Amino acid sequence: MENFVMLFQGFGTALTPVNIGACLLGAVLGLVVGAMPGIGSLAGVALLLPLTYKFNPATAIIMLGALYYSNMYGGAFSAILLNIPGDSPAVVTTLDGYPMATKRKRPGQALMTANTASFIGGIIGMIILTFMGPGLANLGLKFGPSEMTALLLIAMTSISWLVGENPIKGLVITAFGILLASMGMDTLSGAPRYEFGNMYLLGGIPFTPFVIGAVGFAQVINLINERDSDNEKRAKNAKNDTKLSIRGSMLTGHDLKRLIPPALRSGFLGTFVGVLPGAGATTGSFMGYAIQKKFKSEEELGTGAIEGVAASEAANNAAAAGAFAPLLALGIPGSGTGAVLLGGLMMWGLSPGPLLFENEPEFCWGLIASLFMANLFTLVVAVCVIPFLIKILSVPVKYMIPIITVVCVVGAYSTSNSMYGVIVMFISGVVGYLLNKNNFPSAPMLLSFVLAPILEDNMRKAFIISGGSLGIFFQRPITCVLMLIFLGIVGFSMLRPMLMKKKAEK
Amino acid sequence: MKKRVMATLLAGVMALSMMVVGCGQTSAGGPFTPKKNINWTVTSSAGGGSDIFTRMIADIMKNEDLVNGQTVVVTNKTDGAGEVGRNEVAMLKKDADYQLLTFNSGDLMPMVQNTKNRSNNFRILAIMAVDKQLLFKGENTSYDTFADVIAACQAGTKVVVGGSKGDDIATYQALLAELGISEDVLTYITYDSTGDAITAALGGHVELVISKPAAASEYVEAGSLIPVLALANERYTGNLADAPTLSEVGDYENVEVPVWRGVAGPASMSDEAVAYWSEVLGKVAETSQWKDEYIEANKLIAEYKDTAAATEYVTQYEADYMKANGIQ
Repeated sequence: MENFVMLFQGFGTALTPVNIGACLLGAVLGLVVGAMPGIGSLAGVALLLPLTYKFNPATAIIMLGALYYSNMYGGAFSAILLNIPGDSPAVVTTLDGYPMATKRKRPGQALMTANTASFIGGIIGMIILTFMGPGLANLGLKFGPSEMTALLLIAMTSISWLVGENPIKGLVITAFGILLASMGMDTLSGAPRYEFGNMYLLGGIPFTPFVIGAVGFAQVINLINERDSDNEKRAKNAKNDTKLSIRGSMLTGHDLKRLIPPALRSGFLGTFVGVLPGAGATTGSFMGYAIQKKFKSEEELGTGAIEGVAASEAANNAAAAGAFAPLLALGIPGSGTGAVLLGGLMMWGLSPGPLLFENEPEFCWGLIASLFMANLFTLVVAVCVIPFLIKILSVPVKYMIPIITVVCVVGAYSTSNSMYGVIVMFISGVVGYLLNKNNFPSAPMLLSFVLAPILEDNMRKAFIISGGSLGIFFQRPITCVLMLIFLGIVGFSMLRPMLMKKKAEK
Repeated sequence: MKKRVMATLLAGVMALSMMVVGCGQTSAGGPFTPKKNINWTVTSSAGGGSDIFTRMIADIMKNEDLVNGQTVVVTNKTDGAGEVGRNEVAMLKKDADYQLLTFNSGDLMPMVQNTKNRSNNFRILAIMAVDKQLLFKGENTSYDTFADVIAACQAGTKVVVGGSKGDDIATYQALLAELGISEDVLTYITYDSTGDAITAALGGHVELVISKPAAASEYVEAGSLIPVLALANERYTGNLADAPTLSEVGDYENVEVPVWRGVAGPASMSDEAVAYWSEVLGKVAETSQWKDEYIEANKLIAEYKDTAAATEYVTQYEADYMKANGIQ
């Protein structure tokens, strides 16, 4: 109840004209930054931070918070329309979002699904943050190396649903992703791995250019090859295309019925993942999507199902909200963007840490209240731009190819301000295209590329703590429960075919 | 209206820069003053410690008008874990007088370890600040003092220390050597950042954590981290004063591995420019903005060294580090 009163006081802070303006500005900038591949919330917040030094801290954090937040919406736009994830959490959104926009010809609905699910996920995250923030942050602390290892093992099992028809190809590509991710400096000992004497490779393969290449640029090569047939399709589409309005993009009641359950599930799951140290929105959206595989979807996931878009988008927005719990309650950044925000707090003369809620209640609750506002503002702005955005799809292929290529190059360049990113993007584009042509699915590669380094890091830390004993994975209560779930999942999928066979024999 | 003002301004700036370029061609030789934009490379990402350090100096240079009204452009080059950016600066020939690099002990260590690049490939312009570390324990740790930790280790009980990369590892190794304890007993876990290491200590996943005072200060205030050992020759002041130095704990020498933050330039930077930058950085170190908003806010030790002193210091530091790690 006390939290509720504080939240209302927070709205008092957030609802001054200056702060509303800051929130709107942040929301619009965030959408733009989020939709541009390569420039994620991290770069956006880092670039805007110096401008805010002269602001009052509450106004500054409200603007940056809104930017961070709306970024999660923006990432979905390019993912759905161009098959290029605007930021890393949107990788998962491409899996169903792009097919839904193109194959199922429901681009407006796909965007609307993403926006609605983002909104629902975000609100769930924020409500949990409001009432349980400090408690959740303390629960997050309990997740040490062994707990994280067990959790990531569970997440890795979701690869088995992404491998598609040919499990061997799926496994090969998963292992390939793990190998790629292990390049660069070893996080624990600092020893170089697979760097082949090349200075650039010391830093490993950068994630964003890799994803832009493997997903986006591979798509461009595909477009070039199928240009003629695609042109005809588009010409036909253009004639039938009358849905360039908000009304034409509205979801039907049935769509909503399909959207809400996954969005709710992902909302809760995402918030929790966001709270964990070192996890973040990308892991959140992968897990949300993986969980959705366990539930019934009307259309199969990966073919443009509303459930898939909703699960991914709700989870990453909820995770973004959840990440604020450890940041505010303990001064622990859950992500790179969180770390930059934390740096900002210090610049504004606040001391982030366990005492922030006590010493600066006005600031903390103002921030939380502004997240609610940012969520609402972003939804409104995002819905209004849908009709303009879907026009992108009716642009002829001959213009699309150079445009997307430019977007890919700019995005890859801007991650580290160097041509290295662009080279990585082109190579992974060609490799990604060849793999796709030969029916190797790209999702397992991306998933293992994201999760394997975190898994390795935590597993090795766990072994250092235990002195090499496996006991650590079963002696601690949380780890033990997670491990049993993991073994259950693996065991069940091994036993099920055998049981089925027996039944069939009978 | 606004457009017109902007246009006039732009035209003015262009005219000015033409004049400046013109001057530059005539006044060869003599003391160096910057006549165009200065590029400053930071080899870690925006928002981190090195980035804040750099942008603060750039800001002071602008506010105090120390660089002849020129703009300092800070670029973050993170490719190859920063090695690419450092190598580029070292090799730079064109406009070498206009290129600066943030160069810290934490940059030097991986550079020496993983590449052939050495500090003598740079001109070391200045050292701006020095930091030292402490060992902290989480509130639920079973050890009371650091003497208890030593006793436990000598009895063969495993104790885990968390910390960040580079500097913290060097300090940990110096501590191990002084205590004569094996790394299998007093074990170290490397975290991505000090923040992550502190998180692990708060959750009870590591017993002790190495941190600089600034990162831990808030947690000490809140009582969730307790300082147990000052890794310095003297005790700290304020809320860290309770932590004894190693010589107070037992029959040991104090362990102190200073963490320094400095500025370097390319090897081919002219002597005049080196002298100029060394002096400008000295002026920055004298400003109240630097003292209050950087040194004081980050609980650092203000220790400006000019180019001669800094070069000697860094060379010695590098030699010691290479010897300790068996690098040729």
